[in-house]
Amino acid sequence: MSGILRTVVTVGLLACGFTMAWLAHAGVQRSSNEDNGLEKWHFIEGDIEIELVQRLPDQTRAMFMKHDFSREVVEAMATSCMFQTIIRNSGRSGSGQPVSIDLTQWRMRYKGKQRGILLKEPLIESWSDEEASPAAKLVVRWGMFPTQQEYLSGDYNWGLTAYGIPPGSMFDLDVSWAEGDKLRTGEIKGIVCAPDVDRLK
Amino acid sequence: MKIFHGTLVALLLILAGSTQAAGTLTPISGDVQAPDFSLQDTNGKTHRLSDYRGKPVIINFWTTWCPPCREELPSMNRAWHQLKQEGIAMLAINMGEDEDTIFIFSADYPTDFPILMDQAGEVIEQWPVKGLPTTYVVAPDGTIAYRAIGSREWDDKTLLDMVRALK
Repeated sequence: MSGILRTVVTVGLLACGFTMAWLAHAGVQRSSNEDNGLEKWHFIEGDIEIELVQRLPDQTRAMFMKHDFSREVVEAMATSCMFQTIIRNSGRSGSGQPVSIDLTQWRMRYKGKQRGILLKEPLIESWSDEEASPAAKLVVRWGMFPTQQEYLSGDYNWGLTAYGIPPGSMFDLDVSWAEGDKLRTGEIKGIVCAPDVDRLK
Repeated sequence: MKIFHGTLVALLLILAGSTQAAGTLTPISGDVQAPDFSLQDTNGKTHRLSDYRGKPVIINFWTTWCPPCREELPSMNRAWHQLKQEGIAMLAINMGEDEDTIFIFSADYPTDFPILMDQAGEVIEQWPVKGLPTTYVVAPDGTIAYRAIGSREWDDKTLLDMVRALK
């Protein structure tokens, strides 16, 4: 009898512990890099993890200048509130379901207004050959986050997402994704674009 | 107390197991034929994928400016030293960069397997790649057997055994 009781208690504790460990990860964690001061928002829900890491306008300027974009394009991109973005299917739930994202469905809220985020396809199409060479367009094509993608367990991708608001601005982001055929949504509040150089202390 | 310790150990094992997915390859179902290509490596040698028919080939798409690409290169190199005697090929296709850029980069990230150059990005367009790094494992019959989006620890035995099993 005591053996059965021990087994029941063990299984119960295991289930509770696993659930608590899982729940402890859910939500949004905001942190700051001690070395460079850049902030990160880490959203965890179900099998998806979304990380948004501030990117200084100067980092973007350097990247675009290196690839011979026109001065106008460099400045426009540098001040478009870019984030290094990582999306992962952690497989934590053990469901084995694929996770799919479609950035056309994401919505940002800024100063009481709502709209979609900037996507790479219209950006690339908007540049003439004088503003961006074919090689430069390749860099954006592969440097910015893909608009649609499916991740199986263990897959992740990284790239830049852009929000088109001034450096230092704050916004909320409504994210959505599919786990298998189930559509899920979440919210990341109070995201702050990295400030431009002249605002750094 | 024994129950508590047992529970703790079991819980840790479960949690460890739940993160193991990061070290796996995703099987590709259906007979998806790998698009053929012909590219020069950084030493001027031309590599045609179809010439590798009959052996498994690991094909990695990457750039020097992609942090996770850089992260996985050392483990790819270690894996290559295990696989090269086993009749398994490894090709890393750099997207959009020139020989000088790769040469300077390779001083910090030395690799011994062929680095192919897809400067115009024409080959990567033929493959179902959406982000970097993406790696495919092509079976000896030329079909795509596995895919990995994001970096992996390529010298992980479980992962390499999946590739070896294709022979």
